[in-house]
Amino acid sequence: MSSGISALREEYGPSIATLAGALAAGDDSTFFKELDSLVRRREMTLFGELRKLTGDLQSALERFRLDSRLLALAEKEVPDARHRLDHVLRLTDEAAHKTMDLVEQSAPLADRTATSAAEIQAVWKRFRQRRIDVTEFQAMVVKMDEFFDAACADMDRVRGNLSEVLLAQGYQDLSGQIIRGVMKLVSELEVALADLIRLSKSGMEVSNAAKEEPARGFGPAVPGIDNGPAVSGQQDVDALLSGLGM
Amino acid sequence: MSKDMKFLVVDDFSTMRRIIKNLLNDLGYANVTEADDGQTALPMLQAGGFDFLITDWNMPGMPGLDLLKAVRADPKLAKMPVLMLTAEAKREQIIEAAQAGVNGYVIKPFTAVTLKEKIDKILEQRANAA
Repeated sequence: MSSGISALREEYGPSIATLAGALAAGDDSTFFKELDSLVRRREMTLFGELRKLTGDLQSALERFRLDSRLLALAEKEVPDARHRLDHVLRLTDEAAHKTMDLVEQSAPLADRTATSAAEIQAVWKRFRQRRIDVTEFQAMVVKMDEFFDAACADMDRVRGNLSEVLLAQGYQDLSGQIIRGVMKLVSELEVALADLIRLSKSGMEVSNAAKEEPARGFGPAVPGIDNGPAVSGQQDVDALLSGLGM
Repeated sequence: MSKDMKFLVVDDFSTMRRIIKNLLNDLGYANVTEADDGQTALPMLQAGGFDFLITDWNMPGMPGLDLLKAVRADPKLAKMPVLMLTAEAKREQIIEAAQAGVNGYVIKPFTAVTLKEKIDKILEQRANAA
């Protein structure tokens, strides 16, 4: 306290002495000049304190903004991300099962064609060696007719199944897009946490401005995640477009 | 326009490009070229020779909507049939694509029948307009 008083004495003593001297001498111009300089000095100190207060307020506001961003990430976007990844799991699971179902349906058809062809081939070889009688020949012809019909029908079904297997691989595109979205969220979370740590260390630092979302699409609709009004399927799209005159 | 039409399929996922290419082959369209985003596709289109564009929306580099707008803005390409094949399902996006001049919009996941229907319809409209 005494050092505070001595500092004050050192800072203001000469001024007050000048003021008292001017007053005693009746020198009003010196008195007012010294008084003005004293007031200005006092104002400067006040402004300095005000500036510091403003800085503190700014950093508090920034911390608050970061807190609310983190809150949004923790409360909404992280659970949403979990939901998205669940959807990826479902998509991949469905695609795998669908593919396996189709393969299982196709394999017996291919087997049946191969077996029938082998049976006919055995008789056919004897026919080529002219070691076959008329009734056996007639049976072979009937069998071949049946085989051609069955093989055409079976192979059509196999071909159709193969197309569906191909189509089932589309999950890779959809799940890839969802995973990329989650990866983006994770890196955003990383930045927000890093900023929080930085702000906790020193109250005065400024955080990066939030980045704008580029308008390159939202990715696939995920059931249970509301992203604004969306169509539910191709029929909805067609209805919407025909409403627009397309 | 016939089965020897030349298609350009634009999608950033190679599996999806392969699916579309195979489906087009099944439909009898054997002449199919691929590109992985708008930036790659646009110079290919501008080099000429393509009759039909099928594009995704959400792609790195240049997204499909920008590619559509670039195609419509280029006097040489402005009349090219463009089919959007995408997972983007927001109503405002479909309206935006329609306003940008898309000829058809197929939403993923899609079926072979839908793809065929939309291509046939676009070609039919072309034939009637000609």
